[in-house]
Amino acid sequence: MTRRLSSDEVVDRALSSLRAAGIRDGEVFLREALSGSVDTKDGAIDSVLSRGERGVGVGVLDGQRAGFAHTSDLTASGIDACVDQARRMATVTEPDQDLRIATEPLDAPELDIYAAGLEERPLAERGVLALEVERAARAFDARIGRFRRTTYSDAEVTTTLATTHGVRAAYRETSVGVMTSPVASQDGERQIGYHGEGARRPSDLDARQVGARAARRAVEKLGARPFPTRKLPVVLDPWMSMSLLGAIAPLFSADNVLKGRSLFADRIGERVASERITIVDDARRRGGLRSAPFDGEGIATAPRTLVERGVLRGYLTNTKTARRLGTASGANARRASYASPSRIGPSNLYVEAGVDEPDAMVRRLDRALAVTSLLNLHTIDPVSGEFSLGATGIYLEKGAPVHPVQGITIAGNLTHLLSSVIGVGTDLVFGPSGVGSPTLVVAELSIGGT
Amino acid sequence: MTRGDRTTYAAGNVTDGDDLVALAGRAAASVADESELHEAASLVPDELLRPHSVAIDPRGVPVERKVALLRLADQAARAIDPRVVQVTATYAESVQDVGVANSEGLSRRDTRVRLGVAVHVVARQDGVLESGFETIRGTRGFEMLGDDAVREVAETAARRAVRSAGAAPAPAGTYTVVLSSEAGGTLIHESVGHGLEADLNLKGLSVYAGRIGEKVASELITVVDDGRDPGQRGTAAMDDEGTPTQRTVLIDKGILRTYLSDRKHAAKLGIARSGNARRESFRHPPICRMTNTMIERGETDPEEILRSVKDGVFVKKMGGGQVDVVSGTFAFEITECYRIRDGKLAEPLRGATLVGQGPTLMSEIDMVGWDLGYSTGTCGKDGQGAPVADAQPTLRIPSVVVGGKLA
Repeated sequence: MTRRLSSDEVVDRALSSLRAAGIRDGEVFLREALSGSVDTKDGAIDSVLSRGERGVGVGVLDGQRAGFAHTSDLTASGIDACVDQARRMATVTEPDQDLRIATEPLDAPELDIYAAGLEERPLAERGVLALEVERAARAFDARIGRFRRTTYSDAEVTTTLATTHGVRAAYRETSVGVMTSPVASQDGERQIGYHGEGARRPSDLDARQVGARAARRAVEKLGARPFPTRKLPVVLDPWMSMSLLGAIAPLFSADNVLKGRSLFADRIGERVASERITIVDDARRRGGLRSAPFDGEGIATAPRTLVERGVLRGYLTNTKTARRLGTASGANARRASYASPSRIGPSNLYVEAGVDEPDAMVRRLDRALAVTSLLNLHTIDPVSGEFSLGATGIYLEKGAPVHPVQGITIAGNLTHLLSSVIGVGTDLVFGPSGVGSPTLVVAELSIGGT
Repeated sequence: MTRGDRTTYAAGNVTDGDDLVALAGRAAASVADESELHEAASLVPDELLRPHSVAIDPRGVPVERKVALLRLADQAARAIDPRVVQVTATYAESVQDVGVANSEGLSRRDTRVRLGVAVHVVARQDGVLESGFETIRGTRGFEMLGDDAVREVAETAARRAVRSAGAAPAPAGTYTVVLSSEAGGTLIHESVGHGLEADLNLKGLSVYAGRIGEKVASELITVVDDGRDPGQRGTAAMDDEGTPTQRTVLIDKGILRTYLSDRKHAAKLGIARSGNARRESFRHPPICRMTNTMIERGETDPEEILRSVKDGVFVKKMGGGQVDVVSGTFAFEITECYRIRDGKLAEPLRGATLVGQGPTLMSEIDMVGWDLGYSTGTCGKDGQGAPVADAQPTLRIPSVVVGGKLA
């Protein structure tokens, strides 16, 4: 077996292999990750999972044709073969005059996204947090018995990017998360709840809070009834709003805009949302779960306002789409792993906090439905913006719960949803996927039921 | 590694000796006393009969040929209608060489060649954008992707997008629904299949827990999971613990017979192993899940089922779905549907969802057609994706909630 190449040596080798192949425009992306997860069952650790991965993705531009290949065989010959494969892929793609490889030097901002020593403690010890979450859920309400699943997970990742034009930078990050789905039982009825949170370091996760919030999600559904078909104002707490905001994100993608499959195409400067709504994508939010100093193409990140008091101000862009739109890249090229080329996506996308105290906002509504869970979020079609989702909720009169509701759908259009927000809470919260939102009140949505 | 009930799993893509030792060490640090380790039995390799054949290995097909298929799909979709504004065609192939060995001496291998073409079309009419999506996917060789087959997929996706862009929003409310066999099997997958996975039943979480031998559906309903259905997307010779796949009758004329199991849960529940332990890749531990799941054919003419409905909704194609296995509540997307008026198809509708409760719905289905239609998908569970197929005949549901918009 040959000597293990360090990550820096791997990147060096890939760059020299690119040069040796006569490729002037090349990019090397390396990711090294240690990760683990722990599942609990009935108050004890049920399974422990440990992963280690390292790999490199190589992108080339040859006559403005893009080629990409990746490998986890990080020997000199493995890297050379990967470079050769990327070069060959560039012979079958269409040329594109707007493709570029990064040339600008990168800064090194302090983003507070790394906690030293996370992966050095034994996994079973780190995973004790999951047991604390289960205990907290049980302590919250005596009707909580079993759990579908409680999982602690964490990761320590190093990302390195280098181009043949001399750009070279790296960053380290850690993340930890814990989620649980407790089941509440009462008089033969059973209901499941779900809640998960994430942070950059274990000390920023509050196990008691996660357990209690999850337990509340299960207990609040007990006694659920069918509901008549009607239109009602809808209350989306921060966690429910986040899931819909995640579905709205593709509307901002410049790739979708340029391909004519976004409802926000050609609408810069126009009203696309209620004037209470300001949406920001901030890849430099301190401690943010999607914060990073540079994007998947090696462009320095910066905060961006996408919607300002209801008016569309910008799109999420990468180098190619920005050139086509005649702007500078917004550094929104995201890499899911070393094994895939970048795609446009949000970082820490959030709705800014509003001025309304959440409880007071809900008390002002004569009748309303507070959504407590959504099914089928993955089927929202970002092209049409149409959504029709399975839901559970709580029927409210003047803010007071009347009874829980299940077996209903809520339907509308994402753009209509944004336009009909009549209340934005002060309670901005960030969730485990980097998305953040306060409580939102929507004037009216169609509810399908009996 | 298992010790008592606890499983320890380590995975890495590293090929370097130092990295492998480090990985094993990190995993071992979470297992207790090494005195409990035992000697492994020596491996006894055996060969399994393969339920799938590959005439043309896709790895030997030049990439230019694959690109040409995508161009063909692009042209075919655009030629359908000027309202088609965007076409995304994707070719995907995967060749998975799987080897499973365990300390009982089992040693088996399987090669799974899966490929497919997916076409996503966007159509615009009067400022409304709508998508149409269609795929052809299977556990087969490149022979599956002839020009005609790919053209048909592209044209279907384009017609669907154009029809939806010109359709009225689906109404919200409770309706009689006819699900065409062409609609695919998302219904059976979401409303019943997940609830029959052994892990959820051992935890007592599923609505089907502890109900083997009981009536859980109409006697018209027989539900089967068949990991050996030739060429289908969920087909393989063995599962990812090395158990041979099989045809498993889960619900027989309405009576619950067994669950979908892996080794651990089959032993705990005292049921036969069904070969349903699957993992997304070497990175993931095996979990209980479906392969190719279907409601078997009935005896009624599908035309007669449509004619029997005065006022209702006809579902021509289903999209993705999700289920809450604890309450049994499911939701699935409808990507092509029509109003039924006086037993005939009327205007197309868009933006519909069906919502219901699995066991209730399965007891209420009152007509089952003699036809059978398949669909393919990627099922998500516990953060792992798995290729699956689902199938069903034409079905009539007397009363179910359709999600849509109110005027």
